[in-house]
Amino acid sequence: MRNTCLVSWTAGNWFDFFRGVSLDTMPSFYTDFFNEPLTEDVEELLTRFQSTDSVRYGVFSAIWREMKFSDVFLGTTNNSEMKRFCRVALATAVKYFLPPHSYQIRVGGLYLMFAFYHTQPASTPVLIRLALQDWSHVQRFLTESKEAEHHDVLYIYHKLAATKAFHYTAMPHFLTFQKQKTKPEVQCKEFLSKALVLEELQSAEILEEMAGIQSHYEKLKEAAQVRVDVNITHPDFTSRLKQCMNEFFSWQQQRALPKEKNVGGEVDKDPVEDCSSRARLLSSIKQKSYSNVHTTSKSRRHRELEKADSFSSDGEQVQKPPRRKTHASLRARTWKNLGKTDEKSNTKIWLLSTPEQRHGVPLRKMSQAAAYTEYKVMKEAG
Amino acid sequence: MAASEQPVEPSSNIPDYEFMNLNSTPFHIGSFRDEWLKRLKPEDFSFQPGDQDLFEARFAAAMGVGEETMTELRSVCSVNSLLCHSGDQERDPEVVPPNTTLKTLIHRKKKNNKTQKCTRNRHDLYADELDRLTAGRLPDTKANQLPEGELILTINIYFPSSVEKFNHLRPHTTLLMTGSHTLAELRDAVCCVSDLQVCGEFSSTPDMAPDFMSKDLFKSAYFFFEGVFYNDMRYPECQDISSTTIDWAKSHNYPPFSTAKMEDTRLVDLKVKVGFPYLYCHQGDCEHLVIITDVRLAHRSDCLDTDLYPLLTHKNRLMTQKCSVCHVFIGRWYTTRDQFAPSDPCLFCDKCFRMLHYDKEGNKLGDFLAYPYVDRGAFN
Repeated sequence: MRNTCLVSWTAGNWFDFFRGVSLDTMPSFYTDFFNEPLTEDVEELLTRFQSTDSVRYGVFSAIWREMKFSDVFLGTTNNSEMKRFCRVALATAVKYFLPPHSYQIRVGGLYLMFAFYHTQPASTPVLIRLALQDWSHVQRFLTESKEAEHHDVLYIYHKLAATKAFHYTAMPHFLTFQKQKTKPEVQCKEFLSKALVLEELQSAEILEEMAGIQSHYEKLKEAAQVRVDVNITHPDFTSRLKQCMNEFFSWQQQRALPKEKNVGGEVDKDPVEDCSSRARLLSSIKQKSYSNVHTTSKSRRHRELEKADSFSSDGEQVQKPPRRKTHASLRARTWKNLGKTDEKSNTKIWLLSTPEQRHGVPLRKMSQAAAYTEYKVMKEAG
Repeated sequence: MAASEQPVEPSSNIPDYEFMNLNSTPFHIGSFRDEWLKRLKPEDFSFQPGDQDLFEARFAAAMGVGEETMTELRSVCSVNSLLCHSGDQERDPEVVPPNTTLKTLIHRKKKNNKTQKCTRNRHDLYADELDRLTAGRLPDTKANQLPEGELILTINIYFPSSVEKFNHLRPHTTLLMTGSHTLAELRDAVCCVSDLQVCGEFSSTPDMAPDFMSKDLFKSAYFFFEGVFYNDMRYPECQDISSTTIDWAKSHNYPPFSTAKMEDTRLVDLKVKVGFPYLYCHQGDCEHLVIITDVRLAHRSDCLDTDLYPLLTHKNRLMTQKCSVCHVFIGRWYTTRDQFAPSDPCLFCDKCFRMLHYDKEGNKLGDFLAYPYVDRGAFN
């Protein structure tokens, strides 16, 4: 008899425990894709690597040892949390391995993938996910490395492939139709490849703004009746800037052309255009995310989502961020359409069989009465 | 090992994000697999472990490097270069090291110090248990081994819409399936308590209850993927329960839906979006969300025994209600208008129920109504 009392008491405690834990505190298997403190540490490492102006693995591993980076895996008692962290770490490394980062940063990303893969503590290692859409970027990277004869870069990559460290997947992360809670990633400006920074400048409306400010300045000058030759800037500097940029782009295109001729009949996707379209895409997504800073609550899950479209070839186009209307969730709308109100049932199912309380009879009686009244309420509600 | 130039391929087979970080565009799974197999060499996805010497020989030949360069590469690019502490300093993996400059560790230490209360989350503790049991399992016979280049899909099945909690947040089960499985096999792998429900009042004949399970009576079910309803037509009792929805949609100017057979469709024949919620409906009105979270090529560290697939890798457990008499066993009978019961309605486990309501010969004592009850946590 005493044993059953004890068992029922502990069972009762578990009831309370599970009741008290809210959904938000339970960690989900599918976490956010990236971890902010880790991203900061990785960017620190890559900045140091970038400042050495080298792509040698020896240099990278020296920085890794100096920062004692393998310690990032220490301090987690929970196995499943450790596995999640390993997954996030590898995903972070892959992010820097792919465009639009500069070549040196991509090399750093590759070395980082190698380092994280071999220093992770999980007994069954978490593998590196390569999505199909990124395969062409990887191949182009390897071709460039081969031409530049960076043997250690190639050795590291092929070693990873030979140790079967890759998962060849459809998408880079596990997708569960849950919005990411963390703020959208801010591209580290210094890591972007130089060829693409100009693209960003062109697509962000800075030039138009500058021209607007210039005309405003001219108007103010007229109004203040200052002599026309007093000038802080060159009067037509925006058009000259544009001209310079266009010259650069046409030079870039010309530089890319001979590669196509060498391929001998096979049509190759223009790497510059590909990278620039990707940069345009990223800059537009950034714009959208900057203009809509507030995070939506769970009930408003069905708001307008940002679509990752591809762009037309005219590079000036920038999508205006969609205005977010507050409209009710799909569930609420459906209920309204069906003419019913959304009543949550009042039955507390866990009260139907109540465990014995340790301290005396009164509690027991009360809970049974409570259960009975609950039943009555349910019955009345039909 | 030279990286080859890629010809331009139709982009519809390469999945990309439809909504950023939410779900992908729809793509045909079989063609996706072919795209990957076109790009990879057989040794990239084989299950054999790599041979270091062979790899080095191939690498040297492909890159045209000499022996000294190879030796240098081998020594510089070894795993030992990643060791941050000398061998005698064994680090305790559960303790954050002091005097660290890494922000990750500072953040983690703060978090560890904050949560002093013991939140031993049972779900988390056992989350990887199933995975650990089956990872890397090899089959007994060669015939049962997963073929190389096979696809593995990770599918989340969510709680039915009748369960108020966790409806959209936490998957009830996570299944791993191979591309050659049919949708009918996926259906069989889904465990839902509504399949075990028995309808009817059984106070006079308590022993006959298990014969009337809903699973055997109502066998129709369908999956809904990308505008196509895949109906289960394996048994003569199965009906096309999606026809109601299709007819309704036609009359309300929705785009036309089509139907197909569940048992004839393999997962590689589907055209789906990764990360997008789809529907599984059975028992007429028990609906579950289904999300395919990942599609990838099989790897040697996966469970290679085809007998174990569909493989359950994660199961979310629900609280069970216990018998109101013993509080030990899960409730199996639900009684109303019961003169013996302390409350109305009341849950009993099988033993307590029979002890209280029937005599030694099995005759019904007293006046009550009894219904077989299937607890939601029956699959724990």
